[in-house]
Amino acid sequence: MELYLQFGYGMMEHCRTLLRSWGGGSVILSPRDLTDDQLVRFGSDIRDIPGGNVILDPQFYLPHSDHEKLCNHAYWPTDYATTLFWQGQALSRLLDNLRDLNNRVGCSCFVLPGLFASTVDDDWAETQRAILEEARAKSDNASLISTIAISADAVKDANQIADLVERADAWNAPAYYVVCEHPNGQYLVEDPNWIANVLDLCAGLRLAGAQVILGYCTHQMLAANTAGVNAIASGTWMNVRSFPPEKFNATYEEEIRQRATWYYCPEALSEYKIPFLDIAHRLGILQLMAPPPELDGGYATTLFSGAQPSTVGFGEQAAFRHYLHALHEQVRHRNRESFDSAIADCEATLTSAETLLARLRSANIRGGLRDFTEIIDVNRAGLGLFSALRSAVMRRQWDTL
Amino acid sequence: MTTPIDTTWLQRSFPDLSDFCPLGQGGQKLVLAAKHHRDGEVVLKIVYPKTDPESVRREMLAVQQIQSPRVPRILEHGIADTNIGACVWLREEKVSGETLRNILAAGPLPADGVLRLGLQMMEALEGAERSQIVHRDVKPDNIMRDFAGDFWLLDFGIARHLDLSSLTATALPYGKMTLGYAPPEQCRNFKRDIDSRADLFALGVTMHECATGKNAFFDPPPRDHLELLKRVEQVVLPRVTLPITAKESFRDLIATMTQKNRIHRPRTIGEARLWLHEICESEGLV
Repeated sequence: MELYLQFGYGMMEHCRTLLRSWGGGSVILSPRDLTDDQLVRFGSDIRDIPGGNVILDPQFYLPHSDHEKLCNHAYWPTDYATTLFWQGQALSRLLDNLRDLNNRVGCSCFVLPGLFASTVDDDWAETQRAILEEARAKSDNASLISTIAISADAVKDANQIADLVERADAWNAPAYYVVCEHPNGQYLVEDPNWIANVLDLCAGLRLAGAQVILGYCTHQMLAANTAGVNAIASGTWMNVRSFPPEKFNATYEEEIRQRATWYYCPEALSEYKIPFLDIAHRLGILQLMAPPPELDGGYATTLFSGAQPSTVGFGEQAAFRHYLHALHEQVRHRNRESFDSAIADCEATLTSAETLLARLRSANIRGGLRDFTEIIDVNRAGLGLFSALRSAVMRRQWDTL
Repeated sequence: MTTPIDTTWLQRSFPDLSDFCPLGQGGQKLVLAAKHHRDGEVVLKIVYPKTDPESVRREMLAVQQIQSPRVPRILEHGIADTNIGACVWLREEKVSGETLRNILAAGPLPADGVLRLGLQMMEALEGAERSQIVHRDVKPDNIMRDFAGDFWLLDFGIARHLDLSSLTATALPYGKMTLGYAPPEQCRNFKRDIDSRADLFALGVTMHECATGKNAFFDPPPRDHLELLKRVEQVVLPRVTLPITAKESFRDLIATMTQKNRIHRPRTIGEARLWLHEICESEGLV
């Protein structure tokens, strides 16, 4: 499994720095945050980095939204009087414009537009199929990535997930870009059913022979390794680590205004505000929270230099890079030898985090909504259900994924 | 057994046949064993006039299209005027042996019997899958074991041809099926969801029954069909143990075949057959 960078507000330099340090990698570009010209220039920058690669998320989740930056792109339709832009010449034109932009940006693959589905139903599925068919008529099929964007309610409904897997089998896209809304706007999802169903969906797509990129992820989705997912994508702010569809509406208020610096403790799978690191420092247990060498990119070294953490100038830039580097390494180190070893690896990570979290919580070091303590059992239950449904087939097919 | 059809008429209408012996009679047809002057032991089925001729035509079509060595062949067919009206008749290859239902009355099958049954039924169902046909009624009553120990799949009477329009009313809450063997999507008449994986479910239940000697959905006896339906939809069959080397793999296979949702079953009969073939290979059975 790989980590892709999910582009969001203020991420240009993060992408350049991280990709250089990693010796390459992929960035999912966001038209919501970049103009056409910026996309082209930034795409070129990334491709200039050895091993650098870009793909473009057209963010057509809510095409009737009037998000100013999205509407300013040449590919965005201006006439909403009819639904015709999802068929015939209008659809053809939309895909032509998008493909043109993809070419100018230098994207390695063509991510197709996909509507956000509140419910997986015939109308939505027909639109998905039509887009893919039209794109196939214009492009090399192997380069296409079909977007599947679904609501939290749809994800939680096992029947809708099953329906989606069946339909996708017929679409037969070579790859899917899957974005799943989190329930109740949660950063870390508290519903094990949601986790199990995301894994089930991804596994179903993989077993059908498609590649899967799971977009807008937190570290909670390290578990996606067990479903054979090819890449998860994450970024800096919360709104690129989870998928808030309203973000693509004009009325969305940027969370960036509510700035706080969070330190990601990778072995606890939790993030902490810096004052809690001060407490850990004073209690003499700060070193427990330091990243192990294999996950350490050096971005958080100052926090563990011996001084009080809040005084060392650890800011959001370092916090983001540390998070993404640690996650990149966690993703890279996932065990993929077999399905059973992937599950065991995931469970071991949870058990190890549980132990550390208990130690930290006994000292009242807590991460609030980004604390993984309550999520450990959520992920365990999700993995347990997923295993019950899929383990036998995944075990057999693992080497073919 | 008394039949509504005059037996002297039978002899007159089928001069190539002799030694008629009634085998069974349902609401739709009369089934007789007979001897054919060239083909030897055969089965003659006479379908009563009130039966939907299209469903009879499709049953014949199914058997002809599948052409599996594990499905008795239709040797000849036609229409005859009888004392109860015009009847479609079929003359089929006769399998001499016992139904699996009768065999199971004496207890579970030995491990090699379960594996052989599974493999041979999958061979038959793979032929159906290739022809876009779903049997829809795999169960011990529709499986026979001949005197050589080989298994045969019978009765394509409610087979669904996926490339032909359905004969079952879409609005019906329950589809054509046998409760306790049919998968949830077939019970609920979710027509769009019915494909060869429905047969995999039913075969999985049948193999489970052969290994344990009982159908777990009927144990304890359900109060009524609604309770049975709930069990099919909700109860996970107990993990089955066969005394074989590949017991884990066999257990996984049966658990996968009997998953409630078809997306969690093997994707095709062929995939399941390959899986079972590997198990049989490890037991030296193939």
